[in-house]
Amino acid sequence: MSTFSFAEATEWRCAACDQPLQPAKVRVTYLNSVFNVELMVCPACDFILVPENLATGKMLEVEQLLEDK
Amino acid sequence: MDQSQLRALEALCIQEEMPFCTAACPIHVDARGLMACLAKDELREARKILDRTMPFPEILGRICDQPCRPFCKRAEIGDPLAIGPLERYCVSVTGTVLKPPKLPIKGGAVAVLGAGFSGMTAALDLSRKGRPATLITARARLGGSLPDRAGALLPPEVFDQAEATLKGYGADIVKGASLDRETVDSFLEKYDVIYFDWDDFDRDLLPFSSGTTDPVTLALEQKGCFGGGGVEGDKPFSVMHQAENGRRAALSMERYLQGVSLTAQREKEGACPTRMYTVTEGIPRASEITAASPIDGYTAEEARAEAARCIYCECLECVKKCAYLQEFQEYPKTLVRKIYNNQAIVQGTRSANRMINSCSLCWQCTVICPNDFPVAEVCHATRQEMVATGHMPPSAHAFALGEMEYTLGEDCALIRHQPGTTASRYLFFPGCQLAGTYPDTVERSYTYLTQHLEGGIGLFLSCCGAPADWAGQSELFSDVLSDLKTLVGQMGKPTLIVACSSCLAIFGKHAPDLEVMSLWQVLDALPLPEIRFDIPKTPLTIHDPCTARYQEGVRASVRSICAKIGLPVTETTIGAELADCCGYGGLMQFANRPLGGKAADLKAGRSTTDEGLAYCAMCRENMVGSKTHMAHLLDCLFADPKKDPLTRARVGLSGRHEQRARLKARLQSTLWQDPAESSAPHRAIRLEMDDEIRVLLEERLILVEDMQKVIHQAETTGRYLHNPANGRRLASFKPAVVTYWAEYEPADDGFILHSGYSHRMQLPEADS
Ligand code: SF4
Ligand code: SF4
Ligand code: SF4
Ligand SMILES: [Zn+2]
Repeated sequence: MSTFSFAEATEWRCAACDQPLQPAKVRVTYLNSVFNVELMVCPACDFILVPENLATGKMLEVEQLLEDK
Repeated sequence: MDQSQLRALEALCIQEEMPFCTAACPIHVDARGLMACLAKDELREARKILDRTMPFPEILGRICDQPCRPFCKRAEIGDPLAIGPLERYCVSVTGTVLKPPKLPIKGGAVAVLGAGFSGMTAALDLSRKGRPATLITARARLGGSLPDRAGALLPPEVFDQAEATLKGYGADIVKGASLDRETVDSFLEKYDVIYFDWDDFDRDLLPFSSGTTDPVTLALEQKGCFGGGGVEGDKPFSVMHQAENGRRAALSMERYLQGVSLTAQREKEGACPTRMYTVTEGIPRASEITAASPIDGYTAEEARAEAARCIYCECLECVKKCAYLQEFQEYPKTLVRKIYNNQAIVQGTRSANRMINSCSLCWQCTVICPNDFPVAEVCHATRQEMVATGHMPPSAHAFALGEMEYTLGEDCALIRHQPGTTASRYLFFPGCQLAGTYPDTVERSYTYLTQHLEGGIGLFLSCCGAPADWAGQSELFSDVLSDLKTLVGQMGKPTLIVACSSCLAIFGKHAPDLEVMSLWQVLDALPLPEIRFDIPKTPLTIHDPCTARYQEGVRASVRSICAKIGLPVTETTIGAELADCCGYGGLMQFANRPLGGKAADLKAGRSTTDEGLAYCAMCRENMVGSKTHMAHLLDCLFADPKKDPLTRARVGLSGRHEQRARLKARLQSTLWQDPAESSAPHRAIRLEMDDEIRVLLEERLILVEDMQKVIHQAETTGRYLHNPANGRRLASFKPAVVTYWAEYEPADDGFILHSGYSHRMQLPEADS
């Protein structure tokens, strides 16, 4: 399965670990479907950033598509 | 829905029935389409319509005796359309545009004796069907009696054209034939099937007794022989009758050659009744435009003007009113087909899900429809089926169901006897939305009821389960209702006094064993409270909620109360049993937010004055806006002197959510003097935000409480992102299925919210 990258340079830093975020592969799932995507993640504690434009854009689109399957 | 149910439903919607003109036309010419083209000066398209249906349009189009005309709907509001003269205009200014196809030759020896217009038509139709006919006439030309009858209306070359057409389809033409009984007798041997055109063939030459003719098939008693045309009884000669008979005979003869039933499915052949329903109310009258020169017929301008009087008869009565049907550009017949197809999909995208979930289940269309088409019932049953089969999109109703669960839960639900009593004759049931919208008004009306009714009046803050019902969650709905009935039973089965029309409708339909009364009918029978706000001078337009459609008594009480308190009111353009839904019904506004907005605007637009009056909390919530002033009747009766009922702000999803819980907590301490329960710690978080962000959260169906939960979680665990450039924080929290994100910033004694969003995709559980 190919990996889509949604990783983009960001000013958000993990507050707990005081670390900048870095691109990392993440397995996201919805209704029995699995997607491998690249998101910005805290390298120390794995805090995953889902940016607003992703959640309300592509992600929503895919969610709705899967819901109609 | 199975296929037979689909067919039965489809048959209810008559939008696709023939318009009156077409049904009355013996060969069903699409006169409505013709009028549309002529009115727009699209002459080629107009001609195509005639070429498609008429035999020899250059003849029939010029002299049709228009038996359709008396049936034209325009007659109700002016004169019927001059359909015949308009056809004449069309064929005089155009040549043939469309040639119907010719089917491959199938064999069979076919003769047509007599070349009047019915014989010509039979020969043409049979030749087109791949049964080339031999057309035989004793005359030296085609047309039988027609050329003599029509005179100057038919230029002689039209018969040459007809002859060429017949030959083009492979017909053989024998003119000047010398016919005697013997020859005709030999034809019975020679041909498999024969048509006798009584306009041109002399009955005396029949070698058998003509006997009776079957009116449906035009079969004569002699096997393989058919007859028609000529003059019918004592009626005047009709050229359309010739065409109809020729066409009818040709179909019988084709079936005869195929050896199939001559009589099956012929009801719609020839002039027939139609179930079309067209409302002419409100259309201005218009009289016929006649040709200045009857001999020359219409000029282009006259024809355009006359054709433009057509009202394009169709139904669409329900669509004209319903925002939902308009939005999806369907009428119920096409809608149910789409629903049926959607449900039949095994693999692939069920693209009609959103459509099915967008209907407000309001039943307006059913009341409007001449055949009571039950769109609401179909959409509702389909939702139940989707839930049962696991095909309901989880996000469609999640928010509304979540709110219902919360309302039924310990934060908001309450059932108590009147303070200081241990039994209840009545139980006030304000409903979840009224409690969330006007908690202060609910409190004052409850106090008022306790002062005016004898026998103890308890209070029941809960939800009737309508959201579960609308969402198609049958099991959940019946659980909610049975819990509710148990609770009412434990109170000693008091009579419920119900404020909301939706609750009332739900109880009436699904819990007939409960004793229920409408709050409005109760108030109407009591001395009314003193009004404490400035009664407007100009009338307010009363907006009935869609769920009061079948509650005539409720609607009457509301008006009676207004009259008693001196509140001037007036009616909407469409209300009472035709009232629109504000967008809340059927959870429309959750499954389809933009459509919910349109429905509310449409309903508000039915106002006849600038200010409105609602008696459903959701109607007011949805219709009140920056431009609309709208009061809730209960709020008028029990107004807080500090708040003008007409201009109170919209409360919104989060506000209603909050206030439901606060109402319970407040009443518990003020009325029953219970010690206050400590509320969840996240609720203590003070959150400020711009109006813009509030609107954004509403649009995304995110509660302020969801944001409080995110921030509480982030701040107690220290797990959040931080942007050093602007000092903002970003964190997420997933209470159940949905993950919420809040972008915020610490402020003096709380936080400022800058954005909120959510997703349903699951991230891997982070191991912190
Ligand atoms: S108004 Fe137009 S569509 Fe209606 S019956 Fe007359 S010609 Fe036909
Ligand atoms: S929204 Fe109401 S009027 Fe429109 S289709 Fe649904 S039930 Fe009928
Ligand atoms: S009112 Fe609507 S459902 Fe009824 S026949 Fe007309 S178009 Fe069809
Ligand atoms: Zn970290």
